Amino acid sequence: MAPSRGPQALARTLHKTLSNHRGPVHVVRYAKGTAKYVLSGGQDRAIRLWNPDLGTEIKKFEAHGYEVLSISVSHDNTKFASSGGDRSVFVWDVTAGVTTRRLAGHMGKVNVVELNADATVLASGSYDSTVRLWDLRAPARAPIQVLEEARDAVQTLHVDATTIIAGSVDGHVRTYDLRKGELRSDFIGQPVTSAVPSSDGTTLLVSTLDSHVRLFDTTSGKLLNAFTGHKHTSYRCRACFGHAEATVVCGDEDGAVWAWDLVDAAVLQPNPPPKVHDKVITWTEHHPIDPGEMVTGSADGTVKVWRHSS
Amino acid sequence: MSTARLKRKLGDLGIDTSSRKANENFCLIGTPLPPLEKSKDTGEFVPLWKQEVRDEKGRRRLHGAFTGGFSAGYFNTVGSKEGWTPSTFISSRSDRATNKNRPSRPEDFMDEEDLTGMHDDQKLIDEHEQMDLLGTQDEMRKRAEGADKKDAITLALERSLLPAPKDSVGARILKKMGWRIGQGIGPRITWRQREMAFGRDPDVPSDDIDEEAKKHLYAPRDTPLIIVERKDNFHGLGYDPGLGLHASLGVAPETSKQSNGPRLAGGFGLGALNDADDDDLDVYDQSQVHGRNRHAYDANDLHDEERVFMSSRSQGARDLGKVAQPQRPSTGLVTFRDGRQPLNGFVISEKPVAEDLCFPIPDVPKDWTPNPKRVWEREKANSKDKENAAILPPSQTQSHAQWKTGISANQRGAALGETPLPSAPRSIFEYISKKDQERIKNTTGSRFAPPSTSDDPSPGLSLPTPPRITHTEPHVAQAALHGTLPTSVHTQTLAQAQFHPHRKPEQTPEEFAKEISDYAKSAALFRPVSGAMAGRFTSAAVLDLGPKIVEGLHTPAAQPEEGADSMDVAEEKPKEEVKEEAPKVHAARLGMYGVMTREVCTWQPARLLCKRFGVKDPDLEVPVDTSGPSAQAAAPEFTSTASADEFAGASAGATQVDSGGSGSSKRDVANIGLGEDDGQGDDVLTYERPGMDIFKAIFASDDEESDEEKDRMDNDDEVDEPPAVSVPAGPSQPGPDVKPPPPANGIVEDVDLATFKPTFIPRGSKPKDGEKEKKEKRNKKQKSSKGGTLVSFDVDEDGGESLSLTAARQTHRDRDSERPRKKKRKDRDRDGGEDMWVEKPPPDIVKALPITDVSPDEGGQVSGQESGPPRARKRAIDFM
Repeated sequence: MAPSRGPQALARTLHKTLSNHRGPVHVVRYAKGTAKYVLSGGQDRAIRLWNPDLGTEIKKFEAHGYEVLSISVSHDNTKFASSGGDRSVFVWDVTAGVTTRRLAGHMGKVNVVELNADATVLASGSYDSTVRLWDLRAPARAPIQVLEEARDAVQTLHVDATTIIAGSVDGHVRTYDLRKGELRSDFIGQPVTSAVPSSDGTTLLVSTLDSHVRLFDTTSGKLLNAFTGHKHTSYRCRACFGHAEATVVCGDEDGAVWAWDLVDAAVLQPNPPPKVHDKVITWTEHHPIDPGEMVTGSADGTVKVWRHSS
Repeated sequence: MSTARLKRKLGDLGIDTSSRKANENFCLIGTPLPPLEKSKDTGEFVPLWKQEVRDEKGRRRLHGAFTGGFSAGYFNTVGSKEGWTPSTFISSRSDRATNKNRPSRPEDFMDEEDLTGMHDDQKLIDEHEQMDLLGTQDEMRKRAEGADKKDAITLALERSLLPAPKDSVGARILKKMGWRIGQGIGPRITWRQREMAFGRDPDVPSDDIDEEAKKHLYAPRDTPLIIVERKDNFHGLGYDPGLGLHASLGVAPETSKQSNGPRLAGGFGLGALNDADDDDLDVYDQSQVHGRNRHAYDANDLHDEERVFMSSRSQGARDLGKVAQPQRPSTGLVTFRDGRQPLNGFVISEKPVAEDLCFPIPDVPKDWTPNPKRVWEREKANSKDKENAAILPPSQTQSHAQWKTGISANQRGAALGETPLPSAPRSIFEYISKKDQERIKNTTGSRFAPPSTSDDPSPGLSLPTPPRITHTEPHVAQAALHGTLPTSVHTQTLAQAQFHPHRKPEQTPEEFAKEISDYAKSAALFRPVSGAMAGRFTSAAVLDLGPKIVEGLHTPAAQPEEGADSMDVAEEKPKEEVKEEAPKVHAARLGMYGVMTREVCTWQPARLLCKRFGVKDPDLEVPVDTSGPSAQAAAPEFTSTASADEFAGASAGATQVDSGGSGSSKRDVANIGLGEDDGQGDDVLTYERPGMDIFKAIFASDDEESDEEKDRMDNDDEVDEPPAVSVPAGPSQPGPDVKPPPPANGIVEDVDLATFKPTFIPRGSKPKDGEKEKKEKRNKKQKSSKGGTLVSFDVDEDGGESLSLTAARQTHRDRDSERPRKKKRKDRDRDGGEDMWVEKPPPDIVKALPITDVSPDEGGQVSGQESGPPRARKRAIDFM
């Protein structure tokens, strides 16, 4: 394959290793905007703010009593939300480093939180198989609405302007369309660990525990592509789009980062990819702007920043 | 208390109270005051904290908290609650004779209860003693002992000192009848009889017999009281502690000889009034032999008639004795088969002990093999035959409860072939005519089946009353039924909150009842896991349907006919489920995602959620994006679609140009802002916020408007009319109403450019010329008023001669970019403020605008675009 053609190769050169976490890292998120910072949360109950460029830890947010399972950064980078095993959702002020809001109500650990576009609504999905939508504007701490359609733990959420997408262990991806007032539940058949829509909202990337990453058409629910080869059977791994959504990237349980061509679902070189983490890669996130940067979080306690070798 | 004060006083005076002088006693008469120093003045005042609470025995009952609390120890009996405190050594030298050293009496350790008990006992004894006459046990003992133990002097002293024992009532009566102590009771007897009673032969002549004595009657011989010795040991009956093994068994020769004697066997059973002829001696004391006894029996035949018996009762006893008499000697001879003698006091029974009957086991034919089927079939046949079913055949399997309760009287009666008694009516249905029953059945459907009516051929077969099923929520019931699924329960009934048992014709009542009770049980037991507990469990995504295990004994194929239906129903359900799930799963497995795997249902997002997301509440079916970008996107659409339809088909009923357009019932983003037709009025009313684009269109593009309108004038027919009317109206009245301009009638020609400008003015004046119908719908009109302006744009667009709307907007955005934005914000902030917002401004506008004046002037200028903008702008500002 000529270098000029096809999707750009994945950033595979280790730029920095962020290793202050003790215990597995569950989530790594880029900040919004230019995404110069990275937030990571792990089993050590701390959320750490990093400068991935320098590889330094900037700040440590500690309030969780249990592991941190999810982080979501607001659009203006002034606050972020986190959740974890303590069954509550915290909203943090980034600069002050304190929680501004603590939302309790879930009956199981909260696997995922997501803020909407202007950080007025927070969605949290929990092991108790509910998705709760919290109002961050009103002083009331009760959820606006509870989505109880899931039959099993909710593992992933995505909130955009008019839809809420929830992936659950019961093998369904449920799309709540606010404008239409309808719920589209797509049966995937296997526990869903991540569901990431493309930026235009027409496709949805779903990773499931049968070692598949599937690309669905959101309007019809049809399968567009299936990406296989990696090993993903028991942990929550997140698949994401590569730069410009030309590729699909997913870390697997052996510690390798896999990349596929979006269109022909071919594994990008090297195939098989080298093992870069000691343990399962729990989170993969591509830089929203920079085509050559990507972070992975792993159960081996490290967050690795990848760039092109240049 | 006076002593204490006195003492204190003396002490103050310096007098030693203990000195002899102070205590000198000068009293000659009466009781002297107690000596000062050791006066125990009980009435003396003691401060509260010094007072002590003592019980009647003088023990302290209240101790300080640190000295044992309330009644230290176990009511002062022991040193501590745990047990005895070790006694401390006390030198006997220092206090030899103190009370402490005195050994404690049992009474010291008794509490009130024990003491009263003891006292009661003593009292009882006392009363006894009073009650019993001389000659009771006590008296006899006294008599026996007193003679030898006590000497005469002490006895005399005692007698003199002790109060005379009181006679009992009976004794007193007897005494009045002439009885004396020491005599027997009964009629007087002759000397001869008396002699016999004393065991002497009256016929034997003796010297010392006084002839005179024979002439008198004598009191009968006194009956000595029988002293039944208390048995206070644990020996078995007939055991003689003094004897050896052989002796006790009666083997020893000397004992056997003794046992030959007339010793009474039934010592145990002798009553107090049984005169046992002086054989009332210790039955166990074999060493003591009374010759008199023997004598009495020896002599019995001789003087039988002369014997005097004191009572008929004793007579009976005597007769018994006689009957027993011949056997008595035999007791010694009769032995057990093994040669042993029975125990003393026991007789060997003549009747043999009844033995249990044993029946031989029936012979089982050699070719017999167990065949339960046959039994089941027979049972089935029985159950079919209702009369037989009435009584449970013994072979029929019964539940434990059934077995326990047994068969009812009705069942038994039916089994015996009795005609059933006229029982109480079973239900109200008996009184209802068949027709009515049918009707009720129809109306209620399957909700309840009337209980068996009188035509039921098996009255005895009463259905066990269905157990009361606690009210359960439908979903709970559903969940509960996953455990036990009564076959008679239909899912649709489950959907309702109530459970309506419905028996199938094939089901036997027993089965039905059992099913119902099972369900009731499970419904009662089943509680949905709630709260925190529920959080710990999540239902599995994948149903693991293992092999179905049938509980209970395996019954090979006997069921099918009976329970065929129920089984089928039961099996159908899982099948259905599987079917329902299967296509989805199947498709997913095959990777055929799409229609098969997708389920779409309605979902109502909370209003607040929609608000936060900036999305129109979807229950109106039409989402209107008020958020900036989307609104912009929507706006052009609106204008474009609205334009063509609306103006072309200006319907008569339409309020405005826009409303005319609404003639098309189609609802899309375009029509929404405008109150199109009457039919949609309701929706519009509920509809909170009009599209921002409308406002924008109105206010932001005023300058353009003028231009457009100009063009519109040229091209379009509809709009013209209002202006024409308005022209006059405008000047005349700046109407306070914001009523939209009158509907477009399609008169184009009348309108000039000059007249056109006023189009906007007419808003105020509209009411006059506006159609009445429109007035009625205020809200609509308000909206439509805005729409009116829009329409003008549209018209322009349609004409295509003016700027395209978007372009126009952009231009004015450039110009007035700040204002519209502000407006937008304002609008957003107000939730339902739209109506207000629309309504208020018009009057201001009308006032503010010198429109009326201007319009005619401008008429000429219309063509000039500049003239329009300033005016329009003004209005926009006013709105702000």
